[in-house]
Amino acid sequence: MASQLSFTGFAWKNLRRRRLRTLLTLCGITMGIGAFVALVGFSRSFEHEWLRLYQSAGTDIAVLQSSLFNSSLDESLGAKIKALPEVAAVAPLVFNLIDLTPDVNALVYGWPADSYELDSLKFTSGRPFRAGRPDVVLGDLLAQNLNKKTGDTITILGETFTITGIFHGGTALETGAVIMPLDQMQNISSREGKVTAFHVRLRPTPAGESYDDYIKRAQDEIDALEPGIRAEAAAERAGNNQIVDMAHAIAWGTSSIALFIGIVGIANTMAMSVFERTREIGILRALGWKGRHVILLILTEAAGLGFAGGLLGIVVGWGALRILSVMPQTASVVSTSVSPVHLFESLLIAIGSGLVAGAYPAWRGARLSPVEALRYE
Amino acid sequence: MSSPILEGRALVKSYDDGRVAALRGVDITIEAGEYVTISGPSGSGKSTLLHMLGGLDVPNSGEVLFRGSLLGKAVDLDTYRSCQVGFIFQAFHLLPTLRAVENVQVAMLAKGGRANHRLERASALLEEMGLKDRMKHFPNELSAGERQRVAIARALANEPAILLADEPTGNLDSVNTANIMEILRGIREHRGMTLVIVTHENEIALNAPRHIRIRDGRIDA
Repeated sequence: MASQLSFTGFAWKNLRRRRLRTLLTLCGITMGIGAFVALVGFSRSFEHEWLRLYQSAGTDIAVLQSSLFNSSLDESLGAKIKALPEVAAVAPLVFNLIDLTPDVNALVYGWPADSYELDSLKFTSGRPFRAGRPDVVLGDLLAQNLNKKTGDTITILGETFTITGIFHGGTALETGAVIMPLDQMQNISSREGKVTAFHVRLRPTPAGESYDDYIKRAQDEIDALEPGIRAEAAAERAGNNQIVDMAHAIAWGTSSIALFIGIVGIANTMAMSVFERTREIGILRALGWKGRHVILLILTEAAGLGFAGGLLGIVVGWGALRILSVMPQTASVVSTSVSPVHLFESLLIAIGSGLVAGAYPAWRGARLSPVEALRYE
Repeated sequence: MSSPILEGRALVKSYDDGRVAALRGVDITIEAGEYVTISGPSGSGKSTLLHMLGGLDVPNSGEVLFRGSLLGKAVDLDTYRSCQVGFIFQAFHLLPTLRAVENVQVAMLAKGGRANHRLERASALLEEMGLKDRMKHFPNELSAGERQRVAIARALANEPAILLADEPTGNLDSVNTANIMEILRGIREHRGMTLVIVTHENEIALNAPRHIRIRDGRIDA
C-alpha cells in the first residue's frame, strides 16, 4: 500500500536524502569490495588453476627443494624416484615467468619430450616439440595475444625458437604458457643438469588402502631418498606454493587497505548524518524511540550502504577480473572463475564493514538526550 | 474526585553547572482528564516543567510520578513517552523526508506491530484532523496549521493518556490558533485525555479550567 512506512523504508529515505554523499560513500565501499573480489578472487583462482594443472595432467605429488622459487634439484634424482614401487611416471620440469615482449610475460616450462604431462595437452595445430631442438609449443591464448601461429618463430631470453604447435590448455596457467624441451630451458636459464621440480604420477591405489594413506606413504618414501627434498601432495602444493602464498598476501593486503578506506567513508557519512539529524533523533526519542531503536535505524542505514556497495563491488571486481583475464600482460595467470562462496563472503564483508563503520555514530545517536537534541539548531 | 495522573514533587532543574536555575522546587499535581494551562514569561521554566512531566528531561532533584509510580525508576522513560504521553511542539518537529501519513506512522514504528495497521491508524487520525487530501504531502508542502494538525495526529498515534503541548499555537495565525485549540479541546473532551498546554498567550491560558502561572522557576498560583 502506498506510503506504508517500515523501518527499512525509513532508513532508505534517510539515505536518499543526501544522494550525492550516499553515492560517494557507495563509491568508496564499492572500490573496497571490488578490490577484494578482484584480488582475492584472483589469488584463489590462481591457486585453483594450480590444482587443475596438476589434476589435468594426473600428477599426484610434486617433489621440490625448499621452495618453489629457489628450488634446484639434480635431474638424476628423477631415476631414484622412478625406481620406487608406487611411482608410475616422473616428469622433471624447469619453469620461470619470463618477459616475451615488453608487454607480455608468460610462464615458460621446460618438459622432457616424453613427459606424461604432454598427454593432457590438446593440440589445435602442429605437433609437440622434439628433444634437443629449438622448438616450443604455445598455449592458444598466448598465441592469440602474440599473434603467432605454427611455423612462426619466437625469441625467448635472446634465443630463437620455432613454434611447432599450438595447444589448448585446460587451465589459465597452461593456455597462456610456453613449453619447450627440458634441455633447451635448462640451457637458456643456465641450469644444466638441474630441474625446478619433479611431478610424480603414482600407480593406482592398492586395494584396502585409502588414497590419502597411499600418498602419504609415497611422500615419506620420496622424502627419504635424499636430504633436503620435500614431496607434497598435489592438492596441498597448489595451496601452499610461494607464488600462491604471495598472491594471497598481496591480495589480502591491498584489499584490506581498500576496505579500510571504504569503512572510513561509511563511518564519516554516518557520523555526519547523525550530527545533521541531531534534532530529528531528539524527535524520535521524544516519540518514545528507545536508544536501541535509534541504533538499529543507523545500523540499518550503514548496513544498507555496505550491502549496496557490496553488490556494486562484486560487479566491479568481477569486471576487473574479466578485463585482466584477456589482457596479454596478465592473461596467463588470471582466470574469471570466482566461486559463489567468495562472492557471498564479499557481500558479508561489505555488510560487516557497514555495521562496524556505523557502530560509533549509532552509539552516539542513541546517547543523545532527547531534550538537548530537540534544542539543537 | 479522580486520582492524580501526574505529580511533580520539589522539582529542581538547573543548567550550566547550576548557574542557570530553571526550576526552583516546583510541586504540581494533575488529575486524570484535567485540562491545565501553564503560562509565564520567557525563561520562567514552563517548558522545562513540561519536559519533566513528559519524561523528556530529568530533574536535578525531586521526582515525577505517573499514576503514583516514579518516572525513571518504576516507569521506564522511553516506554512512558512511547505509550502514555503525546507531545506537540511549537516548531511542529515533523521529519522533512517523510510524508504526512509517514510522520504519523513513525511514532508507532518503535512499538512494532503490523505495518498495515499503522498505516490505517495514521490515515484515520489524519482524516480526523481534516487532512484526508494532504496525507501524501511532505511537511514543506503543508501550511503551518496543517503541519500542526499532522503533529497532533502523530501525538495521538499511540493512544496516550496525556497530551503535552509546548506553545502549540506559537507559530500560527489567529485563525489557525483557534482551529488548533478547538481540536485540542475536542480531543480532551471526546477521548478523555489529560491535556497540559504551555502557552504565553493569555487568552488560551485563561480559557482553561485550571491555569498555573510560573515565574522564576516557581509556581505563582
